[in-house]
Amino acid sequence: MGLLSWLIFIPFFTALAVILTPQPKQIKWVALIGSGIHLLLTAYTAIKLWGVISQETFTADVFAKLYFTEQYDWFKSLGIQYMLGVDGMSMAMVILTSIIIFTGVLASWHVTERPKEFFALLLVLVTGVFGVFLSFDLFLFFMFYEVAVLPMYLLIGVWGTGPKEYSAMKLTLMLMVGSAFILVGLFALYHTSGQGTGVYSFNLNTLASFEYPKSMQAWVFPMIFIGFGILGALYPFHTWSPDGHASAPTAVSMLHAGVLMKLGGYGALRIAVYLLPDGAKEWALFFMGLTTINILYGSFGAIKQKDLKYFTAYSSVSHCGIVLFGVATLNFMGVKGAVLQMFSHGVMTGLFFALIGMVYGRTHTRMIPEMGGLAKVMPWLAVCFYVAGMASLGLPGFSGFIAESHVFIGGFFGNAWNSSVAMQVMTVLATMSIVVTAVYVLRGLGKVFLGPITDSHYLSLTDAGFTEKLTTGILIAVLFLVGVFPQFLIKLIEGSVLPILNRLR
Amino acid sequence: MSMLPEIIIILFAFLIIALDLIFLDKAKNYLVPVTVVGILAACAVLIFNNSDTLMLGGRFVSGAMHLWLKVTFLIATLLVVILVPESTSENLKNRLSSVGEFLTILLFTLAGMMYLVSCQDLVTLYVSLELATIPLMVLSSWNRDDQGGEGAIKYLVIGALASAFLLYGFGLIYALSGELSIPAIMPQLTEGSPALYLAAALITAGIGFKLTLFPFHMWAPDAYQGAPILVTAYLSGASKAAGLVVALQIFYRLFGHFIVDWAPFVAVLATLTMTLGNVVAVLQENLKRFMAFSAISQAGYIILGFLGNTGADISAMIFYMLVYVFTNLAVFTVLIVHVQQTGKETIQSLRGMSRLNPGLALILMIGLFGLAGIPPLAGFIGKFFLFNVAAKSGYYWLVVLAVLNSTVSLYYYLRLVRQMYIEVPAEGDKPLKIKPLTMLGLGFVTVGMLGLGLIPYFYEQIGRDAAQWLAF
Repeated sequence: MGLLSWLIFIPFFTALAVILTPQPKQIKWVALIGSGIHLLLTAYTAIKLWGVISQETFTADVFAKLYFTEQYDWFKSLGIQYMLGVDGMSMAMVILTSIIIFTGVLASWHVTERPKEFFALLLVLVTGVFGVFLSFDLFLFFMFYEVAVLPMYLLIGVWGTGPKEYSAMKLTLMLMVGSAFILVGLFALYHTSGQGTGVYSFNLNTLASFEYPKSMQAWVFPMIFIGFGILGALYPFHTWSPDGHASAPTAVSMLHAGVLMKLGGYGALRIAVYLLPDGAKEWALFFMGLTTINILYGSFGAIKQKDLKYFTAYSSVSHCGIVLFGVATLNFMGVKGAVLQMFSHGVMTGLFFALIGMVYGRTHTRMIPEMGGLAKVMPWLAVCFYVAGMASLGLPGFSGFIAESHVFIGGFFGNAWNSSVAMQVMTVLATMSIVVTAVYVLRGLGKVFLGPITDSHYLSLTDAGFTEKLTTGILIAVLFLVGVFPQFLIKLIEGSVLPILNRLR
Repeated sequence: MSMLPEIIIILFAFLIIALDLIFLDKAKNYLVPVTVVGILAACAVLIFNNSDTLMLGGRFVSGAMHLWLKVTFLIATLLVVILVPESTSENLKNRLSSVGEFLTILLFTLAGMMYLVSCQDLVTLYVSLELATIPLMVLSSWNRDDQGGEGAIKYLVIGALASAFLLYGFGLIYALSGELSIPAIMPQLTEGSPALYLAAALITAGIGFKLTLFPFHMWAPDAYQGAPILVTAYLSGASKAAGLVVALQIFYRLFGHFIVDWAPFVAVLATLTMTLGNVVAVLQENLKRFMAFSAISQAGYIILGFLGNTGADISAMIFYMLVYVFTNLAVFTVLIVHVQQTGKETIQSLRGMSRLNPGLALILMIGLFGLAGIPPLAGFIGKFFLFNVAAKSGYYWLVVLAVLNSTVSLYYYLRLVRQMYIEVPAEGDKPLKIKPLTMLGLGFVTVGMLGLGLIPYFYEQIGRDAAQWLAF
């Protein structure tokens, strides 16, 4: 097994180890050690990759340049391979996922109900996520994609709160409809390129070497984009997301909003835009319109929420809209910003949901109006909440600022194929969401943490313990690090975004 | 002699009935082991003594592809036979009566299915099909209660009608070609003859009965519900596979040149069958009836393979059939243990299974996900290849419908998962006891559900062998 196979299968082996662990108390330690090893291996891979990528230029590439590839025939007669590789963009996503699962395990430290199944499912889920980011054969990609989606049903259904069965079913079915669209799109790509060149293959770069007829791109592009868009919470297909996030247990919300929704943006960019550039040009404005609604709808929706989880979930809809907005700008700045936003939003939402879980664990309520003055009893959590809030409204110094400024500057620049006036108008509208974000973040957090303590039993609550401080500390450090030193990520991402944009010419 | 496996099966069928008659109760505990030995012997002979041969003046052939299909039937029967003890324990309410006769009849069906694979002319094809079907009609009324009687009579009447259609179709083929031998007929048929279309339609109806395609599926839910659950398992797996074998024999080896003309009809049949199966399954409460509709929808997916016309397309179909037989049996094995020991057949009765029997619940969940087509299970890979065939022939609308149907199916399979994992057990529910032989069988099908897909050998080899068998 090569390096990348290890990156995918370490969580899976950890899941097996969790199942075989006899003592319930040891389970979380096994999971933590597994994800810790994964984090170290990810760091090693990232440093190694940085060593290669920082020496290269990508200005003329039209194919994704892959490193550390592993390639074996699987179903030879159909051209299906076990093909792994990594480039800057997928590396960034792997780093994100690895951080989120490590902190997610920490945040689930107090799961006592059937911990074995919980951690095993969580780890199977991230196996799927790593698989998606690292596989470059679309059959393999799709397989991992569904592995990443399905465990959600049980994770929400068993360990969730509120109307959990309903939310779990809604989420699963909507995402499955999305993957149905993707599947049909993949078949169209496979057969059109196969009939054109005589070489049937699911290899991403082989598929990219064929120029698809415009009429075909015109229907396949929206199909795949919407398919991934459903997971990326594209308006009007986002409705699963608030319900799902609100019902899910802490670590699952973290993973889902932090990582899983990024699969949508990643797939839309990596497959839809990369393989179908003409379709992208044709549909860019349409999807920009939808994502503008996304951004505004999400932030206005968040204002009205009373449940902290719904509040964050709507804010996620808005921020994931920025990801897809960036993808739809089809220019270097915007697309780069989209990938940055995936990373930044992943860490930020992870932090948000982790904090909500911690507050909920103490107050046993998530309703904003029922809380107040909590900063007096839990100063650490309050500060962390404010940091997350500031990052989410794009305060300079945090990663959100870097990402959103890239996206909106990109949107304002426009591109060569769409009306620049329309794009600028939409960009201005979308940018206004930042103001709305400030409104809901400041109002919501003010209500929860400032002012007098509303309920006397809150006085007996305690501040964050060690694992909680560790969880939040790691996430804040990452947010801050990316905010002040984004070059590392930007350089990684540029190398993989340029080939995609070069194909648009 | 390449007919030896079939002969072994028939000899064992007579041996079982003789043992049962002569030793009465004393033989009771030996009947299942003897049957198992018989099937394993037939399997061994088949595998180690298989060569491309012709017998009886070319009416009986054997080759690599025949091996795959026959082994599938043998394994499917074997897995049902080892579940018989689960249904005959002293303390059960719905005990299976007359085990000796049950096993004998089952073995006759098996022999019929095996002949179905090897036969080379229309008459033996028809006779083998009847040999495979009529014993199942007897088995499906084994419970001798109202429901069993109703299901069996529907099965019998509609089955007789289907046979009549099939025979009429065969008659027309004979009239058109003047031949009965399948390889000899093909060159004689000419395109565009209305009688040919009529024959194809009649034969489709006959096969549709066996495969439970809409609108020939009417008997299935009642027969499945009325039959003992062991028989339901057999009906929905092996019997359906036998229907597929007839379909392959006729559509590829007889009508191979015209399969493209038939594709639009197949597309419509597939759409209706899977949609009906999936939509109605959502509403079911009884586990057996639920599995009946699930099986109907699966038949809709399987015939997607008929949209293609190359060896690779056929292998997608046969591969999925193999996967389906395994996955379906995995689901049924758990359900059989559950239904027999609790006496309850509702979906509700599965509640809390993951707490009482984590292992069984896990296998049932994997099996259901396999039927729904969730990766990395073989069920996903098989379905992917079938959809690929439809996409290749340009039926993208059908692929869209099929994948949306899969989503619907996921909904109702998740209903079972929900009962097992999310709900808590009812008061007084006790863990189920599993016999070691059943455990062995479960282990085998579980490995099959995963390994068939992840190891490419099976698909690729079936592809090569199928292309050779159905060369046209």
